[in-house]
Amino acid sequence: MKTASELNFGERAIISDVDNSHPSFRRILEIGFTPGQEIELVNSSSFNDPLAFALRGTLIAIRKHEADCIILS
Amino acid sequence: MKTASLVKLHLITLVGPPNSGKTTLFNQLSGKNFKTVNYPGSTVEYSTCKIQSKFGIDADVLDSPGIISLNPNSPDEEVSINSLYNHPEFGSPHLLVATVDASQISRHLLLAKQLIESGFNVIVALTMNDILAKRGFEVDENKLGEELGCGVIKVDGRSGRGIDKLLSCVKPKLNDDEIKERNSPHKVFENISKEKLLGIYKEIERIEKNVIVEIKNINAPNLLQANEKLKILNPTLKYGSNRPDELTLKIDKYLLSRRWGLVFFFLIMAFTFTSIFWLANPFMELVDELFGYLSTTAAGFLGHTWYSDLIADGIISGTGSVLVFLPQILILFLILGLLEDTGYLARGAMLIDKPLSKIGLNGKSFVPMLSGFACAIPAILAARTISNRRERLLTIFIIPLMSCSARLPVYALLIAFLTPPDKAWLAGIALAVVYISSIIGSLIVAAFINKFNKKIINAVDSSSFILELPAYRVPKIKNVIRNSFENAKQYIYRAGPIILVLSIAIWFLTYFPNHSPEVNTTGLSHEEAVHLIKAERLSTSYASDLGKIIQPVMSPLGMDWRIGVSLIAAFAAREVFVSSLAMIFKVTDEDNLQSSILFAMKDAVNEETGKPLFTVPTIVGLIVFFIFAMQCLSTVAVSKKETGGWRIPILQIIIFTSIAYVFSLITVNLLNLAGF
Ligand SMILES: Nc1nc2c(ncn2[C@@H]2O[C@H](COP(=O)(O)OP(=O)(O)O)[C@@H](O)[C@H]2O)c(=O)[nH]1
Ligand SMILES: [Mg+2]
Repeated sequence: MKTASELNFGERAIISDVDNSHPSFRRILEIGFTPGQEIELVNSSSFNDPLAFALRGTLIAIRKHEADCIILS
Repeated sequence: MKTASLVKLHLITLVGPPNSGKTTLFNQLSGKNFKTVNYPGSTVEYSTCKIQSKFGIDADVLDSPGIISLNPNSPDEEVSINSLYNHPEFGSPHLLVATVDASQISRHLLLAKQLIESGFNVIVALTMNDILAKRGFEVDENKLGEELGCGVIKVDGRSGRGIDKLLSCVKPKLNDDEIKERNSPHKVFENISKEKLLGIYKEIERIEKNVIVEIKNINAPNLLQANEKLKILNPTLKYGSNRPDELTLKIDKYLLSRRWGLVFFFLIMAFTFTSIFWLANPFMELVDELFGYLSTTAAGFLGHTWYSDLIADGIISGTGSVLVFLPQILILFLILGLLEDTGYLARGAMLIDKPLSKIGLNGKSFVPMLSGFACAIPAILAARTISNRRERLLTIFIIPLMSCSARLPVYALLIAFLTPPDKAWLAGIALAVVYISSIIGSLIVAAFINKFNKKIINAVDSSSFILELPAYRVPKIKNVIRNSFENAKQYIYRAGPIILVLSIAIWFLTYFPNHSPEVNTTGLSHEEAVHLIKAERLSTSYASDLGKIIQPVMSPLGMDWRIGVSLIAAFAAREVFVSSLAMIFKVTDEDNLQSSILFAMKDAVNEETGKPLFTVPTIVGLIVFFIFAMQCLSTVAVSKKETGGWRIPILQIIIFTSIAYVFSLITVNLLNLAGF
């Protein structure tokens, strides 16, 4: 099972689910990471964390451990 | 801001996600000029204003901090959401105008839908239509209105296009009968379930597909082809709007590059702070000469009387010695304003999230900390955007250590003493060193508190960092300039009276009771006589009596009571330190205020030891003192309010002031040992 934190730079994928045992899952959903959406890993900070994803026409930075709850298909 | 009126006006609240154009719309409706910032969560306070009379509607509008959904995630969002139901000051709004960014409609409709479902009286204002149009698409507002079951109007808050139409839609909604009939809205979205959320999103995606239409007959590139080229995976997406702004992506290739991102970050920060010095220099000289001129003219005009001394020394030199630094403060506001408006700040927050999280802070601490360089008060308010309580309290805790603009006059004077006047760049470097030390100092303090003392900040919840990176934008120079002047004006209004009153108080304490001392001036030149009279008057003054009490504390620092009195005065506002020194030491009447203070400082002798008072060790010691000391009464008040108690502000005063004293003690004595 691949999660958003394992994407390579420039790689696109479609979200299949969001793990609802994660403390930030609701905010992740609310900001637009919902099943069926396409995301692309665009940038990261120099420390490889947080990661910036292209999603729904904008860029959103989230920490790696938050990207872990985004499950890809 | 609120107009005093007996009849309570209808209240319209602007609500929407961060960066959706609320403040822009608010400025258009109210004719005001509030800061629009390209950073999510920049409006943390409310502003209200009556709608401009030219629009013909008698109502107040309220601008609120952005929210993503009705389920709060940080203190600023919670305040914002609660105020939709019942604002503590303004009551509950009669109508909500929900801003929705047309170019991000699939994300922004979430809030609008929640508002409508909760039973609020809602009109949707569709913003950023120009951005969507550039991609070759537009929103069918009538269709969207039908889908949502509320009025939808396209507006552009920058040009004012669509405002009339919006208001003609607002007017009937403010009808008293209709308002009375409405039920009060219900809270249904707190802790909303995953299924429910996904259900709303499904619905929104269906609506999106229905209402977004391709603009015919324009020379836009064929987007279906473009999508094919980009190999969009999602076949249901018929248009290219899920691609972020291309220019932004290109700029981020550099500014967020893993190798160079941090380098750019440090360069941008370094430029910001060094430019304060060299850009402001010529302006400072102007102000300086103006006040020097005023002071000598006043003295010449009024002759040698006590009131002449009061006006020339107490009022003009006292306040002037601080106002000399107004250009620097203005330029600091200007550059921070430009930086805020570009959209870079969110990147900065992302870049340093990791190191900050290691010491118990958050990437989102970055913007509050940076605005702490202008003033700690708005900075502490800005910390509301940090969702984790522990990280928020720790951020508030260290904000007073950021070198605020009130410290600039102090540093500038002290550094001017150390560096030759013809080498402005050297002073710039020295100031940069001071700023860097203050940043490092604050990070060390944060790390210590985070590591060793769970008692100071005893809140735990999960840490998170989720931040939208807005598209880059050319800052609107005119707006930024207007705002900087506005800020500088507020600075004068806020600090000016304190500085004036304290200047007069210090003048009084140093002038009385022995205002015309008996001294033998035979055989002395006029200048020497004035000097002697002044010294005699000071050493028998009230200030000197006070000073004797604090002398024991100052002696170990190699300083005497005269600096001690100035340091105490600085607890009301730091700048007063400069005006106090000016009054205590200044003797010669030169045209140039600053150089005459410096000149007098070079001559000053420690009354206890008979050695020069201002030496490299004591000057550096004073700088160190100002880096750490918590010396601002307004900051203490805001810190108490925002942390909900006296514990944190009291700890700040005790910890920072003792660090300040101990470190400056160590600095002075080490430098003395080293032979400076
Ligand atoms: N292109 C475009 N930009 C807009 C429009 N409305 C607002 N903006 C810009 O979007 C940015 C965010 O606006 P602001 O009012 O601060 O958003 P807020 O966070 O909701 O208060 C500002 O720089 C505005 O100039 C619009 O209709 N079109
Ligand atoms: Mg705003």
